[in-house]
Amino acid sequence: MGAAILTENLTRRFGDFAAVDDVNLHVETGQFYGFLGPNGAGKSTTIKMLTGLMAPTSGRMQILGLDLATHLVDVKRQIGVVPEGMALFGRLTGSEYLNFAGRMYGLDRNTAAQRAAELLEFMELLDHPKTLITDYSHGMQKKLAMAAAVIHGPKVLFLDEPFEGVDAIASGTLKAMLQRMTARGATIFLTSHVLEIVERLCTHVGIINDGRLVAQGSLDELRSGITDEASPGERMSLEEFFLKTVGGPRTSAQELSWLG
Amino acid sequence: MAGLRPVAREQLRASATLRWRLLVNSLRSVRGRLNLVSRSIGGLVVGSAALGGAVALGATAWELTSNGKVQWLAIFFWIIFLFWQLFPLMATAFTQNVDTSAFLRFPLTYRTYFFVRLVMGTLDIATALGICWSIGVLVGICAAVPRLIPWAVLAVLAFMAFNVLLARMTFVWIEHWLSRRRSREIMGLLFFLVMIGFQFIGPALDHYSKKPATQRFRYVAKAAPVERVLPPGLCTEVLTAAEKRNLPKALGALAMIFAYSGTALGLLHLRLRQQFRGESPEDSAAAAALTSSNVIRPGWKLPFVSAPVSAVFEKELHYFSRSGPMLFTMLVPLLVVLVVIGGRRSLLAQQSELFFPIGAGYCLLVMTNLVYNSFGGDGGGIQCLLISPVSFRQIVFAKNLAQFTVLVTEILILWLGVCLIYNPPRLVFLALTFCWYLFATPVNFSIGNLLSLYSPKKIDYAVFGRQRASETTIFASLGVQLVIMGIGALTIFIGYRASNYWIGVLILAALAIPSITGYIVVLRRIDPIVMTRREVLATELCKA
Repeated sequence: MGAAILTENLTRRFGDFAAVDDVNLHVETGQFYGFLGPNGAGKSTTIKMLTGLMAPTSGRMQILGLDLATHLVDVKRQIGVVPEGMALFGRLTGSEYLNFAGRMYGLDRNTAAQRAAELLEFMELLDHPKTLITDYSHGMQKKLAMAAAVIHGPKVLFLDEPFEGVDAIASGTLKAMLQRMTARGATIFLTSHVLEIVERLCTHVGIINDGRLVAQGSLDELRSGITDEASPGERMSLEEFFLKTVGGPRTSAQELSWLG
Repeated sequence: MAGLRPVAREQLRASATLRWRLLVNSLRSVRGRLNLVSRSIGGLVVGSAALGGAVALGATAWELTSNGKVQWLAIFFWIIFLFWQLFPLMATAFTQNVDTSAFLRFPLTYRTYFFVRLVMGTLDIATALGICWSIGVLVGICAAVPRLIPWAVLAVLAFMAFNVLLARMTFVWIEHWLSRRRSREIMGLLFFLVMIGFQFIGPALDHYSKKPATQRFRYVAKAAPVERVLPPGLCTEVLTAAEKRNLPKALGALAMIFAYSGTALGLLHLRLRQQFRGESPEDSAAAAALTSSNVIRPGWKLPFVSAPVSAVFEKELHYFSRSGPMLFTMLVPLLVVLVVIGGRRSLLAQQSELFFPIGAGYCLLVMTNLVYNSFGGDGGGIQCLLISPVSFRQIVFAKNLAQFTVLVTEILILWLGVCLIYNPPRLVFLALTFCWYLFATPVNFSIGNLLSLYSPKKIDYAVFGRQRASETTIFASLGVQLVIMGIGALTIFIGYRASNYWIGVLILAALAIPSITGYIVVLRRIDPIVMTRREVLATELCKA
């Protein structure tokens, strides 16, 4: 299998500040890749560059073997994106938006309408046919953004915090859908703050801190690379590995003494 | 606050600090500081209205009371009452009020909560003006007939208390409805219609003044019994009875105002108590109203254009049709023509054949906000356009096509209006207007497209007022419109001087050629521009 996502020395600077610094990502086709990092580490900037929403300062990016700098439109046809801002048109209804997204990705009117109906039913959003997206709850908006990202059957899916604000039932449905997609050969690149979700879903993980990629590999590789100091011989959980890699929690001296 | 417990006092102080911090924090941005300047100017206007209104009402009240025409004071009380009650409701379309029901999450006692809701909601323009005007009337009455002072003070104070309580009660009962976007749009539309309605006061007065006096008095006689049992009428009744030394009647009327105030207070308490207990009947009603349907209508298919162009065109028209302010803007040219009809005797009425070209020019003018900031309404949706595999040339063309469709519709409505009210415009004026549009529209679209990309600003087209494009866009669009309108006026002038308007038609047709060419050139350059501007677009339009 070839690389679905490949970056070489990917860098993005804002003045003197390097939000993403010399990042070399390698995500194989069919992988469920979790991209982790603390707040402000450079996750969203990376995803914006990989999806064409932002230009890199330097470095190269390839999606499914196509260079983003020269084949941007061809790449866009094959990817689906749920960006940070969800990319929704607030004054459309859910069905109108999915219809719109489908046709923008080249589906014919009838196919777009049919898939829109299926997705709305799958996401349990059919109860709100006349409600404008601006009046949806945050969780409903997330589900709709996810539906729009997959309506054209993308080969690579980029998801920026997809489960944030989504209820447990819908979250379960979405996870099952994503796992089925990877089983069929799609590649998923996901950022999340919730390490349990990444640990449960992802096969591979990359960790970014202060703009630099500090770890990358399969979950098993990463966890077997370092052993738990407290319990020698035992493998670390992803959370322990993450904290070890990006810096541990606050010490007890920093705790708030007046809290019960 | 002396009677309150320390905790409650601290909570009230915290609530007041919250309002203050909201104001201070809003000054961090340039826009916030500019808003403060405009608010200060607004404050001066409101202050002048309060003081001027109070003096004018006071002087008139003094005149009426001195001449024994106390019953005419009812007109003032009704004006104050209607303004006090209706203005805050309509103003909700323009303002974001602090949601004081959010205070429920803190451990407030019901008494403190009630006090916060009553006081914080009362700090508005309508209450300030209502109180100033009422005091003006009170001073006028007291100065005219000192014997009436106790009664006037009691009646006006009761009237003010009733207004405060009724306004709060109404607001609290319907705030759930008002918090909805659609409701605010309706109120905003109502506000503008009322504003326009003032234009018709003159003709209406003119109409009724022509009727015989007996017929006019018949209307007044019919309304009088109803008017007398409502608080503004009761307030007058107290004064009339006191003037005639009819104490039982004066006391009865005063008691009725207190009864009205008590009812308003009771209803306010009932609603706030419900809220305090966490009961919200509207939520369950809304949940019950949900319906389910799995039939999705396919999108539009326009002839001769690609599917993405059709999709963007459809989306634009959905946006337009759901924007109260935009629909209202579309009606403006027609309303202007209708209002102008009221002044048939005016100078312009002699040149009624110019109404169509002038109205058509106005139609293009009112579209400026939309054309020069065409991504402004998309908000976060810009990301959807940026990640889609569609060239921006197609997207921008689809937006222009939708704007052009709106313009054509508007001009058709205008043409119908002009034909119905005046006479159908002569062929030469139709040709002049058509050729001016051929020249002016591509110029507007070209520069509008460039400014939409170079100087975007997020705008909510569902909200009336206080929403403008960026300063750069405003000045640039103003300059372009002045030049375009100037050229149009010049060609009409040349035609007028030469006694042949067809010369103007030819000039405009010739100007249309470079204008259309320029539009095509700009459209071809759109994609490289978007590539360099995508981050600014996304950052500016995705702002919360």
